[in-house]
Parts: sequence; C-alpha cells; structure tokens
Amino acid sequence: MRKLLLSSAIAAGMVAATPTVAQDHLKIVEGDPLELTVQMNHARYPVYEESWPVEQQAREWTNVHLIDVTVGANMRTDENTGKTEALNLMLASGKIPDIVGSSRIKDFVNQYGPEGAFLPLNDLIDEHAPNLKKFFEEKPEIAAAISAADGKMYYIPYLPDGKYGRAYWIRTDWLDALGLDMPETVEDYEKVLRAFKTQDPNGNGEADEVPYFARQWPELIRLVTLWDGRSSGSDTSHDFMVVDGKIEHPYAGEGYREGIKNLARWYEEGLVDAEIFTRGSSARDFLLSENLGGSTHDWFASTSGYNRLSSDIEGFEFKAMAPPASVSGKRIEEHRRIPIKPDGWAIGGTNKHPVETIKYFDFWFTEEGRRLANFGVEGMHYDMKDGKAIFKQEFLDQGPVNRSLYQVGSQLQGRGYYQDYDYEIQWSNEFALEGIKLYDEGDYLIDQFLGVAFNADEQKIYDRHWGSVRDYMLERQQAWVLGNGDVEAEWDDYQSQLEDLGLSKVIDVMNSAYKRQYGG
Amino acid sequence: MLMPAIVWFIIFLYKPMYGLQIAFKDYSIFRGVADSPWTGFEHFETLFSNDQFIRAFWNTIKISALNLLFGFPAPIILALMFNEVINATYKKTAQTIVYLPHFISSVIIAGIVITAFSPSVGIVNTVLGWLGIDPIYFLTKPEWFRPIFVGTGIWQEAGFGSIVFLAAIAGVNPSLYESAVVDGASRWQMMWRITIPSILPTIIIMLIIRIGNVMEVSFELIILLYQPATYETADVVNTFVYRQGLQSGRYDFAAAAGLFNAVVAFVLVMVANTLSRRYSRTSLW
Repeated sequence: MRKLLLSSAIAAGMVAATPTVAQDHLKIVEGDPLELTVQMNHARYPVYEESWPVEQQAREWTNVHLIDVTVGANMRTDENTGKTEALNLMLASGKIPDIVGSSRIKDFVNQYGPEGAFLPLNDLIDEHAPNLKKFFEEKPEIAAAISAADGKMYYIPYLPDGKYGRAYWIRTDWLDALGLDMPETVEDYEKVLRAFKTQDPNGNGEADEVPYFARQWPELIRLVTLWDGRSSGSDTSHDFMVVDGKIEHPYAGEGYREGIKNLARWYEEGLVDAEIFTRGSSARDFLLSENLGGSTHDWFASTSGYNRLSSDIEGFEFKAMAPPASVSGKRIEEHRRIPIKPDGWAIGGTNKHPVETIKYFDFWFTEEGRRLANFGVEGMHYDMKDGKAIFKQEFLDQGPVNRSLYQVGSQLQGRGYYQDYDYEIQWSNEFALEGIKLYDEGDYLIDQFLGVAFNADEQKIYDRHWGSVRDYMLERQQAWVLGNGDVEAEWDDYQSQLEDLGLSKVIDVMNSAYKRQYGG
Repeated sequence: MLMPAIVWFIIFLYKPMYGLQIAFKDYSIFRGVADSPWTGFEHFETLFSNDQFIRAFWNTIKISALNLLFGFPAPIILALMFNEVINATYKKTAQTIVYLPHFISSVIIAGIVITAFSPSVGIVNTVLGWLGIDPIYFLTKPEWFRPIFVGTGIWQEAGFGSIVFLAAIAGVNPSLYESAVVDGASRWQMMWRITIPSILPTIIIMLIIRIGNVMEVSFELIILLYQPATYETADVVNTFVYRQGLQSGRYDFAAAAGLFNAVVAFVLVMVANTLSRRYSRTSLW
C-alpha cells in the first residue's frame, strides 16, 4: 500500500515537475550522454537506482548517466562490516567501476588509492572543479582530514550539516508526577533515576521501571563524562581523542576510572537497565511503549518522535535535558554530528573520463546540485518559496522523511555532497527543536577527532596491536560495569596490561600520523 | 560416477589452496595473490605473540572437549532410546520434534537463547525466581557461557545426529536378537551385548570425523551470543580471526590463522585414526 502511494505521488509529481527551467550551465558533455558505471552501497541503500527521480534530474542537467554495476549489495544492518565487505568484493573481482561510493570508504581508498586503484583528486579539483576547490579552500581542516598518508585526496566526502546528534532524554511527566525538578548535576540525575526506580512513576504498583536504558550499550559508557571521563573522541564509539594537540585514548584516563566505578554502582543499584548489553536496538521502542523507560541518551530527531506515544500513555512526555554537570561542574555533550564522514565517493583508477567525472562530482557542490542532493526534485518533492526549498506537505506525510528521501535518490551517504541542515529542521518535531535550542544556548559540544591516515609502517603497527588493545578494554569495561571485576582494585594491572598489549605503540603511530596530517 | 565428486573437490577444495599462500604474504586485494610481496612467517609471529589468540585457542579446545564429552554421546543415547520405544506413532512424533531444531537458523536460535536467559522476562530466571533464587544475567557471566553454548548445541543437533545411529541400529542382524530372546536375555542385556557392539564401528567413525572438526566450533552462534564481557571463555579462534582479521580486511592474517587451524585439525584426525586403528581395528583409512 505504501509503495502504491509513493509511486502515485511520484507520478503526480512528474506532471507538476515538467516545466523546470533549462539549466544549460550545468551541462558537462554535449551531444550523446556520457555513461559512467557506479558501485554504490551505503548504510541507507544497497544499490544505485537509475530510476531515482534525483538521478533522472541529474541526467537531464549534466548529460552524465550513472549506470549501476554494484556488487555485494545486501541489506545488512551491520553497516560497518557489510559495506566494507562489498568494497572488498568489488576490488577482488578485478573490475573497478568509474565511480565508487560507499559508507566507510575513507580507509579503503586511502589504502588502495596510492596503490593505483583510485585516482588522486587534488589536481583534478584544482583544474576542473571550481565549487569543490572553493569548498576545500574555505575548510582546509576538512581537506587535511580526508587526505591519505601521501597527502593526496582520494574521495569526496559526504559532509553532514548541523551540529547536534545525540542528547540526554528524560520522562518529564514522571518528574512532574514525583514532584522532581529537571536534574542539573550528576548528583541530581542519580537521585532522579533512583526515584524512578523506587517511587513507581508509571503507577502500576510494581518497581518495573528501567531508569536509564540505551539502544546501543556504548551510550551507557558515554555517561562517564559525568565524572569527567570520556568514552570517545569522535562520533564512532571507543575512538581516540585529541587532548592539547596530542592523541590519547579515553579508556586509559583517570576520569574514565572514576566514571566506570560509579556506573558499576548504578548498575548494581538497578539505576541502569539490567539487560543493557543484550537488549539491543529495540530497547528504546520496547521500553518507551511499555511505559517502563525513564531516561536515555539518543538522537534528537528519532527520539523526539516517541512523543507520539502520548496518545496511548496518558501524559507521556519525553524531552531533551541539558547534560547534567559533572562532579567538577563541567557540562558537556560528548556526541555531536561530525563535520565530515568517512563516507562518500571516489574515481576508479581505470576511469577513462576523469575530467568529466570530477566535473560531475563538482556538480553536486553547485547550488542546484546541492539542493538536488538534499531535497530531491523541485516540483516533485519540494517547492521554492522565498529562495528556500520547502518540502511539499504530501511528501512530509509519507513517513520518516529521511527514508522517503533516500528512496528517491537524495541524502545518499555514498555520494559526496554537503548536507543542508535545513532539510532536517523542516521535519523535526517541536520536541527536537526545543531540545536543540536548549543545547544551542548551553553550548555543550566539544571538538572532535577527525581521524588520521596511516602510512604503511604505521598501519602495520596499528593493525598488530589495536585489535587486541580494544578487545581487552571492552572486556574489562563490561566486566567492571557488571560487577564481575572491580575497577579500583584492577586499575594498575589494567594499565600495565594495556602497555603490554601495545597501547603506547598505537598512540605513537597515531601521533606521528596526526602531526603529519594536521601539523603542529 | 566418481567424476562429479572429483570435479567438486578440484573446484572447491584444491583450487582455493592456491590462495593459502597469502598467509605468507603482505596481501593487497588490489595487487592480487600473485603480485603481493612475501613476508615469510610474519603473520604467524603476530598470531602467536598475541595472548588473546592463545586464549582463543584454548577456549576452542575447551569448548570442543565439552562438546565431545556431552554432545557426542547424546545422539547415541537418543538413538538407543528411540530404538526401545514400542508405540510407532509416539516414536515418529518424538523423532520429528527432536529433529526440528536442526533446521532452525543460528540467528533464531540465538534469539531464543537470549530471550530464554534474559534476567527480566526469560523462562530460566522465572523458574529460578519460583525457587527463590535472584535473577542471573547469564549471558554476561563468563562462567555460564560454555554450559549455555554446549547445551544449546546439544538441543539443536542431538536429534538430527541420532539418525545415523538409528540407521546403524536398523542394520543389526535381527537373528542376533531372536537367539538372545531364546536364551532369555533382558532388553537391557540385548542393548549392551548386541546393539552397542554392533554399532561401535559407526560410533568410532563418527568420533574420528568429529575430532577432525574440533577446531570448527559453530562460531556464528558464538558471535551472536558473546559479549566483550564473556570473551574470556567465549572467544574462539574463528571469532578472534573474524574480529581482528576479516572485519578490518586483514585477509593475510586471517588466512594464517585459518591455516594453523587446519594443521591442528589434521594432526588431531591423524592421531585419532591411528589410535583407533591400533586399539579397535576400525579406522577411516
């Protein structure tokens, strides 16, 4: 039924869309269209559909046609491994398409680009891509962050816009029911969670409330920031961080130790979901709709949507709260949308039309191209009002707008484009907007580590040690939280074990790569 | 008639052996197997200098030993029990029920196990609750991982594994039983003196095959069930290789670990076969 609605909406849009203005200045080739093969498999969509309205529009404007030759397409939800596997499969098959787009493409192109599998883009951009050139000149840190160890760029990234990602959320109606204020400090937060556990805010007579829960268990570890620890330096879990121009790992710091000690206490007292490590991605859905969950740390847009439950659960209100002040009084929100993702697209080493291809990449950084990448097709999905793209109401009503968009070929992570946060504001609900305003006023975000590119020797050392170090860190982390070990008693042993496993060697190569890439 | 089997062996078993050389190379998918530079035993050194690999190796052995100890006799006992059931309808129904789990995918099995052992809604903890025992978060306790894993394996495979033994029992000469009845033997005596000795060759062959698979614990189920908290007992060679080799695209390293696995399995089969030939005069070759 949904499919039917969608296609009829598209058909209806087609009719309205016909009188688009001719955009001759966007044309890349004259005469016969240029066909370029494309592999595109990313977290949101496993193939490149030639029938997407966005592709059709791009064809009309640029006269370049992308032809899908994606191998290894699958719908796996495990985005990190699934997509890398598809890339490896493509490379192993021996045929590299003209354009390769994917999630997690950065390390891949930075490893195989210098070997010749992908073309370096710097010169092509300088000579043929004015919009990309301007973009990178304005944001040199982004150019630095995506470069390989040889200093060249091998892919054009997907660049998310907007700053905010995850936030703290709390059942404000439960606060009201128990006569509690919005928690301002970690002590307050603990009191509130304890009250959720013991004072039966859902009123069913049982102490079945789950005060703090999370869809992804690293969001529990995120709480160590309340004791001045850190859980990650980027938007990827367990990542390194930059402290005073040097790379460190958050799981080796004192604040982390203190944080884990307290989280273990919270876990033991039942302030944290007992099944936090195994409940998985349905945790938020289940615990909120069963009227059991009290507080979490999760994305603005999708979490605010749960306020629709107020039609089933009387008084239900799930609002963003400012990060509680840590023990030393700092209020930080560790997670933010990273300005540059390791996703995007690259030019295959055997591409016979590199100039046209870079011009095509450049097209998506023109005003029209960027709008097409963000909002879909004018007249079909949005209309222009006062120089701004405004989604059509019927398009907004089709369900989650980001999903509707990538079903028409917009907002693809496998395409190098600059996101326009305005697209998201238009379908964020009042709770999300209110939360974002709260976080804006408080200015809680901190700077992020944008990653490094290793040379071959550094890569070898990293590969040799990092997997073991990381496994050991996570193993101890869960054991401590679950009470199968004691962080205080084991800390020295933990540190020396990290040293034995080679953490300092990994940090050394991180630092040498960091210095080369970002200077300083 | 042998041709299809030979072709199958060549295409799927002998030809891929060419790729084994990447265990000794610095392999790049782009450069290909032939053009990647040699590195000698570097990947093996990395492997053996890694404590987590050593731990994973012993975990593999321990889980397999438990599997052998409890999982191997289970289908034999089951087959002997089916053999004693007289009511045919009951027998068929029971057999169908115990075969069924074999056909369920590991993902579903893992889901069932996670739910069954959940501290809040799981049936196991509910029963423990009736007995006045506090809920246990089984899947994060290293000491519980092996029993749960091995038990799940038995539940899933014992029924299906019993088929081969039932077939062996069906092949026992009925005149042996008839003369035993004439001699006044009890059913218990017939089982011990006739059935089991008659199917012993089958049991030994199955045991040798099983020993050859010692290194191949069903790692997809482990991946679905384990947590960093239970790596201590749950991490086996294959999961270790998956995490540290394949997930990060280190195929050469993963191939080295796989090769080591194969060598160990080969040695085990050789030993089991030799022992069996010497002591029971039954052997695979």
